[in-house]
Amino acid sequence: MKLEVQNIKKSFGEREILHGISFAVESGRAMGFLGRNGAGKSTTIRCLMDVFRQDSGQFLLDDKVFEPRKMRIGYLPEERGMYQKNAVISQLVYFAMLKGASKEEATKSADYWVDRFSLNDYRNKKLETLSKGNQQKIQIAQAFLNEPDILILDEPFSGLDPVNSQVFKDIIAEFVKQGKLVIFSSHQMSYVEEVCDDVTLIHDGNIVLSGDLDQIKQEEGRGKLYLSMPDMDQNELSNQIKKAFPALAVIPWEDGLVLDTKGEDLQGGLLNWLADMNRPIQQFGAFEPSLTDIFIEKVGEKE
Amino acid sequence: MRDFKTVFAFEFKTQMAKRTAIVTTLVIMIIVLLVTSLPRIISLFSGGGDDQGLPQSAISGAGYVKSEGEAQALLETILGKDAPSYPDREALVKALNDKEVEVGFVVNPEDLSYEALYQDKSMEDRRDMQFGEILTSHKREKLMVEKGLSAADYQDIQSANAEGTTTILGQNSMSNYMITFLLMLLVYMIVLIYGSSVSSIIAREKDSRTMEILITSTRPTQLIIGKVMAAGLAAVIQFGFIILAGVVGFQLNKSTYPPEILMMVSGSITTPYLLTYLFFTITGFILYLFLYAALGSTVSKMEDLPSATSLVQFLFIAGYILASFTANIPNSAIAVAGSIIPFTSVMVMPLRVGVSTVPTAELIIAGVLMIAFVVFFAYLSIKIYRWGSLNYGNKTKLSRIIKEALKHK
Repeated sequence: MKLEVQNIKKSFGEREILHGISFAVESGRAMGFLGRNGAGKSTTIRCLMDVFRQDSGQFLLDDKVFEPRKMRIGYLPEERGMYQKNAVISQLVYFAMLKGASKEEATKSADYWVDRFSLNDYRNKKLETLSKGNQQKIQIAQAFLNEPDILILDEPFSGLDPVNSQVFKDIIAEFVKQGKLVIFSSHQMSYVEEVCDDVTLIHDGNIVLSGDLDQIKQEEGRGKLYLSMPDMDQNELSNQIKKAFPALAVIPWEDGLVLDTKGEDLQGGLLNWLADMNRPIQQFGAFEPSLTDIFIEKVGEKE
Repeated sequence: MRDFKTVFAFEFKTQMAKRTAIVTTLVIMIIVLLVTSLPRIISLFSGGGDDQGLPQSAISGAGYVKSEGEAQALLETILGKDAPSYPDREALVKALNDKEVEVGFVVNPEDLSYEALYQDKSMEDRRDMQFGEILTSHKREKLMVEKGLSAADYQDIQSANAEGTTTILGQNSMSNYMITFLLMLLVYMIVLIYGSSVSSIIAREKDSRTMEILITSTRPTQLIIGKVMAAGLAAVIQFGFIILAGVVGFQLNKSTYPPEILMMVSGSITTPYLLTYLFFTITGFILYLFLYAALGSTVSKMEDLPSATSLVQFLFIAGYILASFTANIPNSAIAVAGSIIPFTSVMVMPLRVGVSTVPTAELIIAGVLMIAFVVFFAYLSIKIYRWGSLNYGNKTKLSRIIKEALKHK
């Protein structure tokens, strides 16, 4: 399956929120949809789920118009809510049936996910009697009901403790392994790095970055080197390198420096220079930015 | 259709499992049973069984100041030979204070004027008046005899009445008013209770953001119709139990009812009235449920719900007031208009049919209009629900909501 988002535009009143965004997601790969608050993530997801109707553009699934209500989709909205006064199991069965399951299938699926999230003790309890964390798990379980082919999760990790986050990551990994299509938005970059194969970064209603996460990291790190020397502080090292290699852009980074060669072949010269210095080197090699680095660079610098 | 069934079953089960609804129904059923059993309960406490063997004129629990001649004989007849007598008023007052007797009488033997004395008098105690009536009757009879008429002549004069019958070709508003008014009250309760229930279910779904999961799983049409129908059926069942309690209570206690009440009940519930009542109640109820559902989906927070639904509450209460007002003038222009406009016809038309003869053309026009309104407001309600699922935050004017909702594909 291939889900394509093509040139989606959406305005609320006079204000355009999405300015013709495009990206694609394939099954068997998890895609992290990233962006700052108000960037347009939830609006995109809501348009995809037909909560909002886009002004122009289209969503295609394998070259056909994507109709969410005709698909098996597990959807977790950003702002979660379920029936506080109803028993956990009865509402999970209800939601599974609304997704097309028969009563038996719905009950089986609801029981499975209640068990998977270790909520058996609360099966027949009213939702309002559960702790906030357990309510959160029930809301997440709702998205997995009825074996969805596509998972669309808006900020799924928010409010989860590390143990439950791990359970959740394992479940997503299983879905990906089964060849399902997974999209989730998140602010927690570490989770995205762990779980996602692809990332799409949206900023102010425009896609700034989209593709394979490893490739993006390589591309973002291309032509950049990382150097740290334990017996020299950042300023001293920076000054000396700038003096020796005026063409290099030097950026302080953690304990060392990122050296941007800007496409020039300076690696050999740098190695010779370091050898001549004859001082201990802690780390010297290709620089690979973390997702957080990329996020801050792409989004933060535009502020 | 499948989703409609799922929504309907879930909402119906939720409605029926509400503890407050169950308790309220049971309490109202008990009250209805008690009210319909009132005549029997009153007869049980009135002590009628023990008095059966006593003379009709006997007044129990009474004492008197000993008199002489005819007055003494009368006192013994009215109060019974065993009734305690006292030498003077002072002794009688003491007996009242000591609770030896409940009521005391002092009769002047010359003109049979009397004084009734109580220590405390309850609201329903009529013994003083009964005593007075018997004395008056005796005094009149005596006067007639003195004027040359016999006691039998006196009885004949008393019982001489012009006999006649009244034939009502249409409806007897006197006898029908009570039942039609009671049934109207029932509609009033059903619409207000279940209307608020539907609007709060939807507002809560929106407030808790459950709506987003629902509308991404199924169509708003199935959701709204499923919810409205489930609330409708729950209302019919709840009020069916209340009516059943009324019918059971009436049947069990029928023998103790005064004939006027029996006439009121048997005279009112005719088949045409029942059919009109059921048609306008059910369709009108559904119309209001759709209105409540639509307004419930316009709010983002539960606390905004009362102000959002106030318009429809006002409309409905206006219909109720109009129906009450037009009961005495059922064929006036305002009553005819009220019975045709669907928002008010839900109550005005059954009331008019109950207390007067309504032309068939008016019934047909009102019926067709009602169905058209139900269909239109169901459509509008679905559109507003869909609009509501997309709009959170600032309050929007109803006119703008309708405009935007109808524009939305």
